[in-house]
Amino acid sequence: MRKFYLLISLISCFFYASAQTPSIRGKVYDMATNSTLPGAVVQLDGTGKQTVTDANGNFQFTGIEPGSHTIKIRFIGFDEIEKKVDVSADRTTTINIPLSTKANDLKEVSVFGSVNKESDEASRATEKNSNNLLNVVGAQAMQKSPDINAANVLQRVSGVTIQRNAGGDDAFAIIRGLEPRYNNVLVNGVSIASPDSKTRLVSLSVVPSDLLEKIEVNKTLLPEMEGDAIGGTVNMIFKDAADQRQFSVSSSIGYEQLFIDRKFLDFSKADIHTYSPSEMYGASYIAQPNDFTRSNLDFKSIQPPPSETFTFSYGDRFFNKKLGFIIGDTYQNNYFGSDVEGENGNADPKDPDHRPRANDIYNRSISSREILNNLIAHLDYKINDRNKIVLDNVLLYSRLEEASITADTSITGGNGGRTIPGTGPVSGIDQSSTTNQLIENLKLSGNHILGNHFKFDWYGAFSDAFARTPDQADINTNILITYDPATGTFTKTPEYFDEIDRVWAHNNDQDYDGAGNLTYKTTFGNAVLELKAGGLYRHKTRYNSEDEYILRPVANANGEKAEFTNIYDAQWTVYNPLGAGTFNINNYNLLENITTYYGQFKLSFPRLDIFGGVRSESTTQQVRIRADITNANGVDKDYTDILPSISFKYKLNDITNLRLAYFASIARPAFFELVPNNPPNSNGTVTKGNPDLLHTTANNYDLRYELFPKPDEQFFVGVYYKDLTNPIEYAYEGNSNAAVVYEPINAPSAKVAGAELAYTRFFGNIGISGNYAYNYSDVNALKVDRNNPSVNVYEHRMLVGASVHDLNVSLLYRNKKAGINAQLAYQYLGKTLVGIYPDNGDNYIQQPMSTLAFSADKTIGKHFAVFTKLNNLLNTHTTVVLHNFQNGNEVTKATYLFGIRYNY
Amino acid sequence: MKTNQISFWIAAIALVAMISSCSKKETTNTVKPVIPPSHPISAGNISGFIKGTLLTGSTYTVTADVYVKAGDTLLAQPGAIVVVKNNSQFIIQGVFQSMGSQAAPVSFNSDSNTPGTWGGFACDSAQAVTIQWTKILNTGGPDNTGSARRTLVVSAPIKVDLEDNWIENGQDDGLGLFGGCSITVLRNTIQSGGSTDGEAINIKTGAKGVVAYNVVFSQAGTGTKLETASVVTTAETNVDVYNNTYVSCGWRRGAAEPGRGVSAGVSARGNIYNNIIVNCYHGIEIFQDADVANVKYGNNLFYSTANTFVDATVTPNLIVDLRSGYYPAGAAGVPQSSDLISTAVGNNDPMFTSFDNGFLYVNGAPNSNDFHLKSGSPAIGKGNTSFTLANPSLAGGAAPDADMGAYPTDGKGNKH
Repeated sequence: MRKFYLLISLISCFFYASAQTPSIRGKVYDMATNSTLPGAVVQLDGTGKQTVTDANGNFQFTGIEPGSHTIKIRFIGFDEIEKKVDVSADRTTTINIPLSTKANDLKEVSVFGSVNKESDEASRATEKNSNNLLNVVGAQAMQKSPDINAANVLQRVSGVTIQRNAGGDDAFAIIRGLEPRYNNVLVNGVSIASPDSKTRLVSLSVVPSDLLEKIEVNKTLLPEMEGDAIGGTVNMIFKDAADQRQFSVSSSIGYEQLFIDRKFLDFSKADIHTYSPSEMYGASYIAQPNDFTRSNLDFKSIQPPPSETFTFSYGDRFFNKKLGFIIGDTYQNNYFGSDVEGENGNADPKDPDHRPRANDIYNRSISSREILNNLIAHLDYKINDRNKIVLDNVLLYSRLEEASITADTSITGGNGGRTIPGTGPVSGIDQSSTTNQLIENLKLSGNHILGNHFKFDWYGAFSDAFARTPDQADINTNILITYDPATGTFTKTPEYFDEIDRVWAHNNDQDYDGAGNLTYKTTFGNAVLELKAGGLYRHKTRYNSEDEYILRPVANANGEKAEFTNIYDAQWTVYNPLGAGTFNINNYNLLENITTYYGQFKLSFPRLDIFGGVRSESTTQQVRIRADITNANGVDKDYTDILPSISFKYKLNDITNLRLAYFASIARPAFFELVPNNPPNSNGTVTKGNPDLLHTTANNYDLRYELFPKPDEQFFVGVYYKDLTNPIEYAYEGNSNAAVVYEPINAPSAKVAGAELAYTRFFGNIGISGNYAYNYSDVNALKVDRNNPSVNVYEHRMLVGASVHDLNVSLLYRNKKAGINAQLAYQYLGKTLVGIYPDNGDNYIQQPMSTLAFSADKTIGKHFAVFTKLNNLLNTHTTVVLHNFQNGNEVTKATYLFGIRYNY
Repeated sequence: MKTNQISFWIAAIALVAMISSCSKKETTNTVKPVIPPSHPISAGNISGFIKGTLLTGSTYTVTADVYVKAGDTLLAQPGAIVVVKNNSQFIIQGVFQSMGSQAAPVSFNSDSNTPGTWGGFACDSAQAVTIQWTKILNTGGPDNTGSARRTLVVSAPIKVDLEDNWIENGQDDGLGLFGGCSITVLRNTIQSGGSTDGEAINIKTGAKGVVAYNVVFSQAGTGTKLETASVVTTAETNVDVYNNTYVSCGWRRGAAEPGRGVSAGVSARGNIYNNIIVNCYHGIEIFQDADVANVKYGNNLFYSTANTFVDATVTPNLIVDLRSGYYPAGAAGVPQSSDLISTAVGNNDPMFTSFDNGFLYVNGAPNSNDFHLKSGSPAIGKGNTSFTLANPSLAGGAAPDADMGAYPTDGKGNKH
């Protein structure tokens, strides 16, 4: 594989052309601020030559014919300009070209080729000229940052935090304190199918940042945008074909401090069966003990090899620049893990206040290997200046191999607890699992300018997400440690073999989308009116399948539970030899059709833009589960939302905007939440669906002041207020047999308000970039009255996922002459509500945390750069507290990464 | 003279006795019409939605799950015989009454007559459950999702009346009584249940009532377990547990999870009196997280037929000191002065009519022991009849006895 990449790099060297005279040299700058504009596209008409301005806004054409030439300059957010230049033989002609900000953004209508959209300047320009409230992170910023995937990038965006699971392989965006369920994730502007078995979410950690052109976080919606976002929309835009040949390749290796301090827990993947016995041999197959492998429960400590990443992208334009393409692939092989210790707690009746206290202590050690391979392909064809067709395909493959070992000691509870530290019943759970996941997003789109006033654009998309977890295997064992105070001795019983669970799960989510928009544009005096109408239809099908086998130990000759010595000597019987079949609560099918229409207007005066309109979103859903004769086996839902919006953008001057926006939006429940399942007949905690759950609607209000002192600088200050109806919260539902059952319910309402501040400024070589978000949220949600458990009470609290304070500060150093960039990135995240305790008065609170990361790169020669990315330098723990004890303390450690990059 | 007088008196008494024996007590015999059973169910295969009456002397074969809908009643007459195939179960959402008699018990068993071969009674959301003089054998097969099934489970605030039944050879819990149900569990024999786990009478989440005169023999886990819930979201479980006999319980689960005669944990409360606990791994365990102040106990007899139990299947061999397990260290329960606690083999031996002195038996082992008390048993006369029942209305007339155990000498106890 690598040899192939090397070959490409060699071939591309032949295309390299050398310089001749005469030539044109020039500088492009912003007329309003006099600052130079790096990344502007400069085209030499007639010869078809094209270049991009460098970091100082300079460009040069060499080897051109003497005589009259036309230079065309484009830069995002600025008016396109054409300039005539007379070139005489044997000398260099120098020109300075000022660009002025677009009086009216033509982005929507222009079908001209791409300009550099990856630079910081382009990001700021997009924010400045956008019709809605946006935060943008461009590829160059990501490259310079310590971040290697979309989740890491997003956590540095103003008002965005990341929700992670223990072990850290999942990462979802929380925007403005609103849980991932209230936000949507797009790829190239199209909704993405979810590989999650229960939710609509896509983990952002499976998207390496190397192939992204930019990430946009839309905080307000226009009628033309999909309405299922209350917190905001994350749009991951992958690389576009540039106007000239581009080739880049980079590679890095890294290591985790964790695996310097402890070993990595590995298991064999060789024998894992892809399909469960019932999937292999049919539903009536009686599974035998030997149908279940042992080597994937044989854990070994190893020293892991370094993590590695490899990325290449190649793009070019042919046929008089009409046909452009880019193809890119990024591969990451990461080893990571965490150690968690914590205490679970419940109310103790002896405490007069009935608050929870620790009754169980656990230790968990997780070792994960994640392989990511993303392949992107983009093809565009400009039929002429008025018509363009684009094909994008994004393929995100990930594989997670995870081993976790847990030791759980009861302090009190079921079979008694510990008497003194070091004693008690200890149950051990060792788990191995592998998950393969493939997400694809294929989009064909077109832009057509029809006459002087009309434009039509459309897309058709297919989005597919498939995940398979073959044989997630858990082995449960237990021992009891007792202490005899008389003799002062600890006694440990043998380790007993309790149970083995084997789960095979897979799911598939498929969307077919079709959308079309018609734009009409006209002018009245100095006002421009743009009318736009369109619609989108999405047909989604999803299935989720899970099969589970329980293996129970063979009792020894005396009839007693057998001792566990090792996995190869363990003897078991298959307790449910037919598997869990279709009755598993995670088996369901879902169909969802979404039909939307909208009409919107944009009325632009020289200093004021007014946007408004209305969107209609009709949703029909059909959920089906196994045909159980006494319980519901399906749910049909049908609803339509009318979502109005109005916003104003007042341009105080060329570098300042004041925006005011109102929009209505919705959030649809997670798929599993609608399934009318019955919780299994088990102990512990189970979650059931609630077919009566209503979707959430919200009214959103935003006010933001934006200042762009220089093309790569910004100062934003804004406030927002959101009023949610039927927010979705989890609450205690009741007890099913011995199990505690939770279900999603609608709280009557919730309110979210906050303020955001973002600031980027350079002082010579030193820059500072930062943002701060304050979030207030309040939901009046149902809880059990801890003093009178048969009664439910309402309690005001913040929303799950919400952090009160979120601060990011980065210290930047750039030295263009020396080719050095360096960045020290600090993040402070205030208290975050991460989970609901069923009784009133308490919740799971993640404690404030500070993280520090560092990155640096240095260019070597014209094409090479070396870089380093060092993360979690403070070895920050994630600590969650319930009442007065530590519910969880997850220890992750620093990661070190070094690499080299080649750009042509 | 004296002799004559004596003779006279003898004759007089004999005469009075003769006359009085000639008198006849009044008898009444109302002539009733023969009321046919409601919805008689014909013998043969049954499955699906069923209501009506399982008839005396008829044999039924359950071929697939049987559902009793809310509002419907399934009633078994004395002597009805039900054979369950295909790991099926009864799902009761209505009323279930199994009305066997001492002379003609009702029988529910699987066709294969081996532990764990059918599902038992899922009465989670039933409206009422009454089971009398009924044999329920060999339940505990997994349900459709792979979860273990109790012989009988109730999870709703309804009345559950279980009297004089045999519950034998299940693979999981015998009785799972949850969700605030009101229970009357009297004079049942629960034996040889639980493969390597499972309690005989598992009472949680706010259930209340009486567990008395039951015999529990060789349960894998605990004889009678009281718990509320790991999350305090219900009223406290509050049960009177008296005059039960627990023998050889708690061994099959292994030393890491020893079973008990009776345990009270996680905010449970109750009264634990007059029980005989013999050869169990642990005796009475009142966990620290129970509602300790409101768990009252005493007048219980603890005995072991050996001083230690040696488990030779593990390395190194495990030696269990049986007498230190009557009230295990670390728990809140402590010996009471009213208890009879054996200090040596022979001391405070309850003197069962017959007992093979075993500790660990296999799941489904036969029980040929007789736990009636021989005369001279120290358990006789040592019971407490004056403690205050928490749930007197659920005692079904079975008051605590002056003798300990399930077989008091006045014959008011277990009739098996």
